[in-house]
Amino acid sequence: MKKILLACSSGMSTSLLVTKMSEHAKSIGDEAEIWAVGQDRAKKEMENADVVLIGPQMSFLKKELQGEGEKYGVPVDVIDTVAYGMADGKKAYEQALNLMGEQ
Amino acid sequence: MFDRLNKILVPIAGKLNNNRYLQVLRDAFMLAFPLTIFGSVAVVLANLPFLEKIMSDSALGTLQSALGPASQATISIMTVFVVFGIGYYLSRSYDVEAVFGGVIALASFLILTPFILTPEGAEPVTDVIPLDRLGAKGMFLGMITGFFAGEIYRFFVQKKWTIKMPASVPPAVAKSFAALIPAVFTLSIFLIVNIGVTQGLNTNLHDLIFNAVQAPLVNLGSGIIPTVIAVFFVQLLWFFGLHGQIIVNSIMDPIWNTLMVENLTSYTETGEVPNIISKQFMEIYTVGMGGSGMTLAVVIAILLFMKSKQMKQVGKLSLGPGLFNVNEPIIFGLPVVMNPVIVIPWILAPMIVTLVTYFAMSTGIVPPPTGVAVPWTVPVFINGILATNSLAGGVLQLVNMGIVLIIWMPFLQVMDRMNVKKERQTENTETKAQTDHSSKEQAL
Repeated sequence: MKKILLACSSGMSTSLLVTKMSEHAKSIGDEAEIWAVGQDRAKKEMENADVVLIGPQMSFLKKELQGEGEKYGVPVDVIDTVAYGMADGKKAYEQALNLMGEQ
Repeated sequence: MFDRLNKILVPIAGKLNNNRYLQVLRDAFMLAFPLTIFGSVAVVLANLPFLEKIMSDSALGTLQSALGPASQATISIMTVFVVFGIGYYLSRSYDVEAVFGGVIALASFLILTPFILTPEGAEPVTDVIPLDRLGAKGMFLGMITGFFAGEIYRFFVQKKWTIKMPASVPPAVAKSFAALIPAVFTLSIFLIVNIGVTQGLNTNLHDLIFNAVQAPLVNLGSGIIPTVIAVFFVQLLWFFGLHGQIIVNSIMDPIWNTLMVENLTSYTETGEVPNIISKQFMEIYTVGMGGSGMTLAVVIAILLFMKSKQMKQVGKLSLGPGLFNVNEPIIFGLPVVMNPVIVIPWILAPMIVTLVTYFAMSTGIVPPPTGVAVPWTVPVFINGILATNSLAGGVLQLVNMGIVLIIWMPFLQVMDRMNVKKERQTENTETKAQTDHSSKEQAL
C-alpha cells in the first residue's frame, strides 16, 4: 500500500490530480491511497504518508515541510509543474514513486 | 531576469505565508466564515427582489425582523469571533492551552469596550454592549487586543506562573487552575490600560484606535488605486507560480473584511451600501470569474478559437474547474507561469477589469456587493447576482469576461501559432504535448 499525500492551498486544486493519479495506480495494478489536504493540515497528516507532494503554487512551503518530513522520514517535493498543470496522473505518480525509492 | 525575481519572491512569499501572526489572523477569519455564510443566507432571503411585489410592507417587515438575528448574531458581531480566534490560534501556535487563550482575549476586548450607548439626542443608556463596537467599528481594536492578550497569556504560561494541581485532580479542573494566574495577570493589564485611557484621557480605546488606526487604514484600502495595486501583486505572484491571494490577502483581509462588515450592517439596516471595495469586491469581481486572472474567458477563447492540440487539451481540462473558479490547470498547464508571451494580458486584464468594475459601481450602473458572503467557488454570474442582490451584478461579470477575452486574444493567437508550429516539427518524437512542455520547463 503506497500512501501519497498532496498539499495545496485548500486541497481543492490538487484533488483533480488525485483522481488522475488514483486512476493510473489502479490501471497498473498498484494499491495506493492518495489524498489531498490544505496547507494547514499537511504537517499533521504527514506522518500517515509515505511521500508528500506540494502543489507548485505553494512551492515556498517546501523547505518547511521538508524539515518536518525528516522527522518521519517522509520525502517531500514540489509536484512537477507540467504534470500538475496537465493533471498528468501518470507523471505525478511516477514522481511520487521516484521520491519513495530515493528514501 | 525572471529567474532572479523568482529567487527574491519565493522567500518573501514563504515568510509572509509562514509568519505566525498572519497565519493566526487568516485562521481567525476562517473561524468566522461558516457563521458569516449562515448570516448571509438569511440576508439574501430577507432581501429577495420579488418579495416586495408579493408581500405587503408589514408582512415583509415582519419577515425581515424575524430573520434579523441570523445576521446580527454572526456578521454584525464578527469581531467577537475574530478576537476569540486570534487568542485561540495564537496560543495554539505556542502549544499552550488554546481555549483559555481564546476566552482571555475575548474578555480583554470586552474590558476595553464601553458598556454604554449614547443614542442621538437622548440620554446615554448604561449596561449595554453597542453592537457596532463588536462589529466593523471594533475590528482593529479587536485584532490588536487579541494578539496582545494572547501574547501576554502565553508569556505567563510559558514562564510557569501557574498553579499545579496534584495528579488526582481531574484534568479539566487542573487546566482551569493552570490558566488562573495567567488569566488574572492578562486581564489586570487590560483593566489598568482601560482605567488609564478612560480616566486619564477621558476617552476609550475603541474610539482611540478607530480614529487613529482603523479609519485611516480602511480609508486607504477602500480606494481604487491601492486595490488595483493589490490586484497587480496577486497577478505578479501567480506569474511566478506562487499563490497570489494567500500572500496578498493576509495583509489586506483585515481592511477588506472590515469594509464587508460595514457594508452588510448598513445594508440590513438601511438598504444602502457605503463601500464599493470590500472582501466581496475582491472575491467576486477578481477571482469569481474563473479564478485568479479571470481565466474562464481565456478557457472559452482557447476552446473556440485555438488550433494547437496542447492548448485545446489544457482548455478542456480547465473548463470544469474554471466554472468553480479553480484555475490551476490553466496557470500551470497553458502555462501562465513564467510564460513571457502572455505576461502582458495576464497582469493587465485583471487591472483593467477592476477599474471597469469600480467605475460601473461608483457611477451607480451596477450596485456594489452588499457584504453578503458568497463562497468563492460559486460559479460566475450566479455569484455576481448573489453578491450584489441584482441581475446587473451578474451581467457586469459577463461584460468583464468579454474585456478579458479581447485583451488576451492577440497574445493567445501568437502562442497558438508558436504551438502549432512546434507540434508540426515534433510530429515524430514522443507525444506533442510533452515535448512542447519540456521546452517550457527549461525556461522555468
